[in-house]
Amino acid sequence: MSAGNGRELRIVGFLCNWCSYGGADTAGVSRLGQPTDLRIIRLPCTGRMDPLFMFKALLSGADGVLVSGCHPRDCHYSEGNFYARRRLELAKRLLPTLGFDSGRFEYTWVSASEGKRWQQVVTAFTEQIHTLGPGPKFSH
Amino acid sequence: MVMGDLKFCPKEGLSRWVEELSREHTVLVPQQAGDAVEFLPFAEGSELSLDRQPTAPPKKSVFPQTETLMRFEYQKDPEHPDRQTLQIKETLPGKEKTVILGCRPCGARGFSVFDPVFGQGEYLDPYYQARREHTVFVSLACRHPENTCFCNWVGGGPADSAGSDVLMLPAGGGYVLRPVTDQGRQIVEVGGFEDASPEQQTEADRLAEEAAENLSPAPELEEVPDKLFELFENLDFWELMAAKCISCGACTYLCPTCYCFNISDEYSGLQGKRIRTWDNCMSNLFTHEASGHNPRPTKAQRLRNRVGHKFSYYPKLHEQVFACCGCGRCIKSCPMSVDIREIVLSAKEYADE
Amino acid sequence: MKYVAELKAKIREKLPELDVVIGWKQGFDPVHASPAFMTTPEEIEQLVVNPLCVQNLATYLPGLKGKKVGIVARECDTRSIGELLQESLIEREELTVFSVKCPGAVDLVKLRQQVGDLGRVRSISFDGPRVTVETPDESSSLDLGELLPGKCRVMAYDEPVLADFRFVDPDQDTVCREEADTDLVALEQMDLDERFAYWRGHLDRCIRCYACRNVCPMCVCQDQCIADTRDPHWLSAETDVRQKWMFQLIHAMHLAGRCTECGECERACPMDIPILTIRRKLNREIHELFGYTSGMDVDAVPPLLTFQPEEKSITEREW
Repeated sequence: MSAGNGRELRIVGFLCNWCSYGGADTAGVSRLGQPTDLRIIRLPCTGRMDPLFMFKALLSGADGVLVSGCHPRDCHYSEGNFYARRRLELAKRLLPTLGFDSGRFEYTWVSASEGKRWQQVVTAFTEQIHTLGPGPKFSH
Repeated sequence: MVMGDLKFCPKEGLSRWVEELSREHTVLVPQQAGDAVEFLPFAEGSELSLDRQPTAPPKKSVFPQTETLMRFEYQKDPEHPDRQTLQIKETLPGKEKTVILGCRPCGARGFSVFDPVFGQGEYLDPYYQARREHTVFVSLACRHPENTCFCNWVGGGPADSAGSDVLMLPAGGGYVLRPVTDQGRQIVEVGGFEDASPEQQTEADRLAEEAAENLSPAPELEEVPDKLFELFENLDFWELMAAKCISCGACTYLCPTCYCFNISDEYSGLQGKRIRTWDNCMSNLFTHEASGHNPRPTKAQRLRNRVGHKFSYYPKLHEQVFACCGCGRCIKSCPMSVDIREIVLSAKEYADE
Repeated sequence: MKYVAELKAKIREKLPELDVVIGWKQGFDPVHASPAFMTTPEEIEQLVVNPLCVQNLATYLPGLKGKKVGIVARECDTRSIGELLQESLIEREELTVFSVKCPGAVDLVKLRQQVGDLGRVRSISFDGPRVTVETPDESSSLDLGELLPGKCRVMAYDEPVLADFRFVDPDQDTVCREEADTDLVALEQMDLDERFAYWRGHLDRCIRCYACRNVCPMCVCQDQCIADTRDPHWLSAETDVRQKWMFQLIHAMHLAGRCTECGECERACPMDIPILTIRRKLNREIHELFGYTSGMDVDAVPPLLTFQPEEKSITEREW
């Protein structure tokens, strides 16, 4: 099931192993329907999320990038997501200067038990990317 | 030179000629891009920028920064997934003619340094040869040498024709066109120009002479190749020369004669291509070996290589010709104002204590 | 500058305790100055300080770690030194800072726009705010304020971040000033498609020479840059605009919260690509988010190396 007009877009999701990855699993096990535009890459922690992953994905043709990790104060490694929050907020703010809508990138927090919340996040983000349409491309 | 060979192209006739040429060929002309001047394909409405020496020379037209040497694809046998076959596809450049119009004589001369390496002798490079054969250079003789110009040091000059197919000599509100090769003659014919008058020819010659006189006198460089060779082990000398160098590649990548390259495979999944890209000896990676050892770990050793290659090793291999066309780009584009002339002269004048 | 004689005398006095003093000297032609590595009194005599001394010499400091180094630095250059000290990339006790009041700076691209090809300039002279340039064809009188690099118009530095010796002419005013960041404003007035086209167009010129990286005082990975590794494969060896753009983002993000806006990346670019704008934008955002300006306080912790459990200025999205 794809959001919007049935044409799938390319969304890359970077998910923390300890929470959101499990949250996505929970959503799946609970048979909560989700759009299929998202491709998930598992990270050991959002602290591992180099903002350059996001830029690289967008420049390589991704239409949207989503990062999801543990709620603040719940990090498996205590503070990885605290560092991530600063970096990711900053990276998001740079996007418009480069010609990308800042809505193509979001970061959020979803715990392993929040299957329902995961469903909401994926659905809302996918809809958002479909509203924006395909990202800028380099074809000459 | 046959008299009727010299034609006159009035200034306002230039873009018509370029337009005419661009019907049949890709014509690369210097154009303003941001604050730089680059060789870009002529299209309707393109404005030629002929007053400044182009920021980058026309090197990439014959020796692109990325040349695809071949494409390859692995194919899996569906019956036996452990077996795969490899298919290779040749990617030689096409035979379409490219005209470079408005480069300086030094820019065209640069390829005379490439030719012995890629186009002569035992090993011929088909990619280089194909592009070289199908590229025609229409060079604009210089009227005003710049502070960084030193073509006269290395055998060139403001109206040097080595490497060019046509020379455009400024004269009387236009250009006297002097074909140098048969290809050049054909290109000039396309313009349907009138013969240049004797007055125009005289003026063209006079302006070319004036330009040559405006260059500062060239020093004697005969002993430089040996001198640099002797200085090879003298790291103190090279550290002094390289103190301000930041080891970037601006000098090499803007050099009309630097031809070093790297070969790498870039692939995604089962498909890929083998590419040849410009490399530069100022980079640590240039000599970084698989073991981790690097025989040129410092910028002093890298700068030594750059100067040594141009003014010693190359001339020792190729009939005493310097691998430098004196365009001065390495000097004026260097963020730290490293001056290769100063290094060559320091080497020449270096006396052991 | 009137203080140059005094400055030379001080360097001569200090030279015996130092391995080298970095300053500027006249370069290969009238409009170019060049870094000078002074180890003898004769070399000190060649020292010049004028608006053509544009290189930020702090870029050499990490490479000279372990040596006793003196450095002639303008106020803005000391900000880079401050940042290097903040990150423990250099040692304060190895360093002697000869801080000079900045005489202003000439953006050579702007000068070229005014007088044509710089290769034909026969002489250039400075008299307060007047700049006189002679070419074989003409003599032009220009206003130094119009020739200032963009970086001199977004932040005013009256005093150095740190100094061992300070040299100021009594009648000398601060040349740099804080105005609207016109480059960034112009860019942000475009719509998104235009901005994308702007960068794609400009970055297409990049020749991947990495002058921007190598000249950057904060780029201290040197030969270990991720742009050069094959594994991980951050960049391919190809020269398409995506690789060039990605490199600029690598540089900008690795400089986030560290960049001192010295503008050397943009000045060094032989293809005149306006790459400083990306770093400026990040600095503006960092200032807004964390109230932080890099390099100004040697004891401060850069904002991306720390955090607050509750970030006051970050509003997270509700789903």
